Parts: sequence; structure tokens; C-alpha cells
Amino acid sequence: MQVQGGVFHWGDWLGVLLHQSGHFGCKDHPEPVNFRPKRKCPSPLDQVKDEQTNKPRSSLPAPEDRLPEIPLKTKWSPAGLRWREVKILYAREMRAALREKAIVFNSILLPIFLYPFIMWAAFTGIIYVQGQTKGFVSRIVAGDWPKGHPGLRHLFEHDDRIQLLQDTNSQAGVDAKILDGRVDARVEFPRSEFSEGIGRGNFEVHVTYNESRERSEMAQRHIRELTSEYRQKWLRREALARGVSAAEWQQFNLESRNIASKKQVGAFVLSLMLPVLFVVMVAVGCFYPAVDATAGERERNTWESLMSTGASRVSILTAKYLYVASLGAMAGTLNLVAMLSTVKSILAPLIDKTGSGIEFSVPLSAVPVLMLAALLMAGLVAAGMMIFASFARTFKEGQAMITPFYLLVILPLMFLQVPGITFTVPLALVPVVNVTLMVRAAVTGSFPLLPLLITVLVSIGLIGVCVRLAAHVLKFEDVMLGSYNGSLVKFLKEGALRRRPAAGASKASL
Amino acid sequence: MKSTVEVCGLSKTFYDENRGEVRAVDGIDFECSPGEIFGLLGANGAGKTTALRVLATILKPSGGTATLMGHSVVAEPEQVRRSLGFNSSTTALYPRLTARETLEFFARINGVPEERLRDRIDRLVQRFGLSEYQHARVDKLSQGMKQKVSIARTVAHDPPVLIFDEPTVGLDVLNAIEMLGVIAECRAEGKTILFSTHIMSEAEKLCDRIAIIHRGKIHACDTLANLRARTGEHYLEHIFVHYVQPSSKLEVPGKGGSELASTKDSTLEKDPG
Repeated sequence: MQVQGGVFHWGDWLGVLLHQSGHFGCKDHPEPVNFRPKRKCPSPLDQVKDEQTNKPRSSLPAPEDRLPEIPLKTKWSPAGLRWREVKILYAREMRAALREKAIVFNSILLPIFLYPFIMWAAFTGIIYVQGQTKGFVSRIVAGDWPKGHPGLRHLFEHDDRIQLLQDTNSQAGVDAKILDGRVDARVEFPRSEFSEGIGRGNFEVHVTYNESRERSEMAQRHIRELTSEYRQKWLRREALARGVSAAEWQQFNLESRNIASKKQVGAFVLSLMLPVLFVVMVAVGCFYPAVDATAGERERNTWESLMSTGASRVSILTAKYLYVASLGAMAGTLNLVAMLSTVKSILAPLIDKTGSGIEFSVPLSAVPVLMLAALLMAGLVAAGMMIFASFARTFKEGQAMITPFYLLVILPLMFLQVPGITFTVPLALVPVVNVTLMVRAAVTGSFPLLPLLITVLVSIGLIGVCVRLAAHVLKFEDVMLGSYNGSLVKFLKEGALRRRPAAGASKASL
Repeated sequence: MKSTVEVCGLSKTFYDENRGEVRAVDGIDFECSPGEIFGLLGANGAGKTTALRVLATILKPSGGTATLMGHSVVAEPEQVRRSLGFNSSTTALYPRLTARETLEFFARINGVPEERLRDRIDRLVQRFGLSEYQHARVDKLSQGMKQKVSIARTVAHDPPVLIFDEPTVGLDVLNAIEMLGVIAECRAEGKTILFSTHIMSEAEKLCDRIAIIHRGKIHACDTLANLRARTGEHYLEHIFVHYVQPSSKLEVPGKGGSELASTKDSTLEKDPG
């Protein structure tokens, strides 16, 4: 096709566009809009020649600026691990993470503020509800009062928290009112079958109430308290009238003595609360960084940039693992500190008001054990989460992949609430449970050496296995490039179990 | 002159659920020298990206050999990666780092010594006109500025071999021109450049030698002048069609037809890889 004396050329569209944008057809060399400019204007693609040497000149740093190479091998570089690279990669991960709202919130702010806030809210709520319920007046319909017991009627009539209602309705009518909340309870005093002879004047107390209503339940409790109180007084008075002293009449007297110090009771309460929350917080702290370091890289398309750098795969994996583990450990430690300060400043004063006087503190000797526990737990959870997140291509897939593992980690904690579970050697062999019990023991100031040692060894061994497994999984280039769409099952079916048709063959969905 | 990139019988096989084994790259051979822009020209899915990913050690080859600066991509992948800068339209930057932090990170991780780092980054920032935006986070930058940062990070460690995989995809004309200008400058510096594209004009203007790749195989590899002489065609589109579909009735403007293609356009066909 001839156009204005020249041959049309698709490549010239670039020239035309540049001409229109004023890039080629400049002011000094005006050209008509044509498919092929007759005069050539200087192009950024043209090599600029040096006037003296007549060699191509670059505006990039000059050749003499060539950078010296840093040797790949360092003093200690087992299997491609280079700590300089790990340090650089770790610093980048942390720097980026601390600018990510989700990570800062979940790994730093949540551990510091969530449980303290929940605790404050819960206790404030309890106190408020207690205050509200204390002011309730129970609306009670009373049947015929027992003869010979005017004191009982007096007790009910003069109680500030009871309003006696006159109701001539049938039993069914009163029941209906109790069910719909217009009346809280009905109390009747039928004659007892042992109301003759020595038991003359005995009677029974029948209470009708609605357990599904808090107010009705309270009325029933109050009736019980009043009648019990009346009975004790009556029995004591009758015994005295018959010349029997209280000591003779009671047969035995029960007295208990608590020899635990306030500190020990506080440590016991902490040992029930802290380990569970600690594990949950370590897992939450690892969650987002683990997804960010693997699936997040793929979703942002930075994975390829990273994989084409000079860093070894081992260094990259190590840096990512350390990044996830350190944020998990940080979350766990921050949570422990926040919880301790909360129970001291919020819980302790509230308990003091009840007269119990519990002292919350953790022995100083527990601090290194707690730090070690944070590292072990974070190390284990981070490795596990990274294995699962490795298969995901997107953040969403990553979250879906990690959630079952997260639940698996916190599931054993339910059994730890069963009374009587102590830090023994067999339990020290169970991952997660062992570190949780280690925290519990440390909080109470107990440090059983053998279970502690076994816990450390088991955890380190398991961390090693998980890290090796993560490294092995990432050796599959399909996994590295996220070809399994977040499906572990697909990977096992296609990648690991089935033999590949040819060496080095990988999935086509790259 | 000694070759900096040597590829011999390189192949890469993928496994597809439906089609079984698919050879995305099928025994390709070529060599590149310093100060040369070597173009891989092919349609989408021809195997360009896969070949370049193998050279960048992101993928492992299924067969054949490839060396960069004398280092094998299989045996010495880390040395290979240190010798090259890889830039692709699918690679991205860390959005939460600033432009300067990005350059520092890539320079450091690719082995630039700390004592030279500051000076090196300052020069790159100046060269790419990033002074004003160097402390801005990458996610706040425009697409053009991001691309500048991306190129700057590719050359941050002064690698002797550069791989640009369809670098102008998604860029406007001005940014594309700037990008190609930088590639030309890198050639002037004596670097070996592997450049893949499916845009004929880019290859025509920029490449010293062009390899036409189709369905994983290299059909021709020579200078544009030699390709013209061999095929008797003047324009690269015609040369390309000559090699990839010699028997087709594909009509290209300037060759007597007014439509781009009257038959199925194989260059737009999607192949695996």
C-alpha cells in the first residue's frame, strides 16, 4: 500500500504517535504527519557518541564505576545460607510489614490492647449487671402462710427486695403470669406429712418460678435464702427451749483453712488465663505475616523480582521464616506483658473490693522461660503456617489455607482447662500443649527440669522438620510460582504423589 | 568477542492436565555478545517469557544448557542471578517501600558493597529523574515513575547481562520511549541485553540481532539486514510471517492487503508457556 509516496509500515505507528506527541517531530524539524518522517530527528533510542572518543556514551554510571563483587561464599554458609542476605531480606520484610496496617494491628496493637480491653469490658459489664440485679424487687405471690410461724410471714413482708402480691387467680393463672414475666415467683406452704407429734406444725415450701427469666430465678433464690434463714433460727430456738445446746445439736462443724498466700492464688488464676491467650496471640501474630511473606508476594507480583535477585533460595526462605516467627514471638510477648499489667491494674483492684485480696505477679525467674516459650511457639507456628501459605496465590487463598492450621494449634488448649493436668514428661512430648504447660508452670513459679528439656528438644526438632518441609515444598517450581491455586490436595495429587512425565516438567499454568 | 550468553538445545516442558506434556521451549540455541541487544520476537505464548525465565534461573530447564557469563543456570544459579538484571512486565515493586529504599534493597541483595551503595543510588536517582520522588512510597507513584524505579532497580548492581521481558507492556508512548532509550544506553555501556517483545517496531528499531521464536522453537536468528536478504522481505512483519507461517495467505498492509489477516492469525494464538 502506497501512502504519500512511501510504503505503509505498522512499525511507523510508533513514529507517528511520537511525532504527534512532539517527541520526534520537534519544533526545529517540523514534519508533516506522515508514516515515515523524511528527516530524522534525534531519538532517545539513538546512541549518543562521545565527542572525543567517538564511542557510544551512556548516561548510566560509567564503566569505571563497575562495582566490586561480594564473594558468594562466606565463612559460614551451609547449603547456600548467607547471613548478609538474610539480614537484608529480613530488614526489608520488617520495614514493609511495619507499614502494613493489617500486620501492625494484628501483630502489635491487638496483643497489647485486645485482651486488656476485653477484660476491662467484661468486669465493668459484670459489675454493672450485678448493680442492676441487686436493685431488683421480686414480685411474689404467696399462698396461705403456715400456722404457728408468724415470724416467716413477718420476714417476707418486711424484706425490701420482696413485693408480695395478692392474687386470687388459679394456679394456672399465676403460672401464666410467671411465664410472661408479670410475676416472678409463687410460694406456697402446704402442711408436711410429718406435722403431727414431735413434728407438729411442720410445713413444706413450694416455689414456682421460671428458670428462663433471670429475675424469676433471682426471686426463687431469695425465697430459698429467706426460708433457710428462718429455719435455722427456728431450729436453734426450739433446741434451746428443749435444753439442747447448738454444739450438741449440730453433730459436727465444718471449718476450712486456706493456707495459700495471696500471691499463690494470683499465680494460679494467671496460670489458667495466660497460657491460652498466649498461644492464641502467637498464632494471630504469625497469621498475617505468613500470608504476606508468601501469597502476598505472589499477589503483588514481587515474587519474580525477588527470585531473580542474587540471593539464594535458602537465604530468602530463612529471612521470611525469621520475619514471621519474630512477629509471632513479639505478639506473644507483648500480650503477656499487656495481660500482666492489666490484671494488676484492673482485675486486682476489682477483686480487692470483694475482700478476696489476690496478688497478681509473676516470679522474675519465669521471664527467661516465658521468652523461650514465645520463641519456641512462634517458631513452630510460623513454620507450619508458611508451609500452608506457600500454596496460595492470593491473600484470600493464603488466609483460607492457614485457618485450619490455626484452629489445629488452638484446639489442644481446650483440653488444658481440664482440672488436674500438670506438666509431665508424656505431655512434654505433645507439641503446642508442651509449650503451653511450660508457660503455665513458669507463671506459678514451677520449673520441672526434665519436661522443660523435653519440650525444648521436641519443639526445636519439630521446627527443624517444618522448616525443612517448607524448603522442600518451595523446591517445586510449581509451588514457587503458585500454580496450585492454593490447593494442598491438588499439590499432593499432582505434584508430590504422581510421578512427573519428564524431569523438570512443571504445570503449564504459569 | 567472547559470548556472554550461550544457549544450546534449551528446552522447557510443562505438564498440563488436559494436554499432557507441553514443550514451551523446544531446543533453542543462540549466543549473545557484550554491547548487543538480542531480540526474541514472537507472538504471545511463543515461549519467550519461559526461555527468559529459565535464563534468569526462575525456572529450571528440562533439557539443554545455558550459561551467562560462563555460569551454568543449573549448576550456578546464584552466580547467574548476580550477573544479570531481570525486568519483566509481570514483575512488580514492593509497594510499601519508597523508591530509594527499593533501589537500596535490590542493590544490596545483589551484592553492592555498603561503602558504594549511597553513591550508586544517588547516581541512579539522578539519572532516572527520581530525586523528587525518591522518598515517596512506590504505591503512591504513577505508572511511569514505577517503571523508572523498576528499570533503575534492574541496573542497580551494574550487571553485565540484562533481560527485558516485554518491558513496554502497559506503558504509554512516552514511557515506552524512555524505557527503550535506557535499553539503548545499556547497550552503549557494553552490556548484553536480551529483549523479548511481540511488537515488531520495537525489535526493528532496537535489536542488533533478532530471533524469531514460534511454538517454542527458534525459526530464524540473524541481523535484520540478513533476515531481509534471506527472505526478500523488507519489513519485519513480513519476515516474521515468512518464518512462522510460510504457507499462509496472511495479508499484511504494504503487501497488497488492506486487512491485517484474512486467515487465522497464528501470531495471536495462545500457546502454553
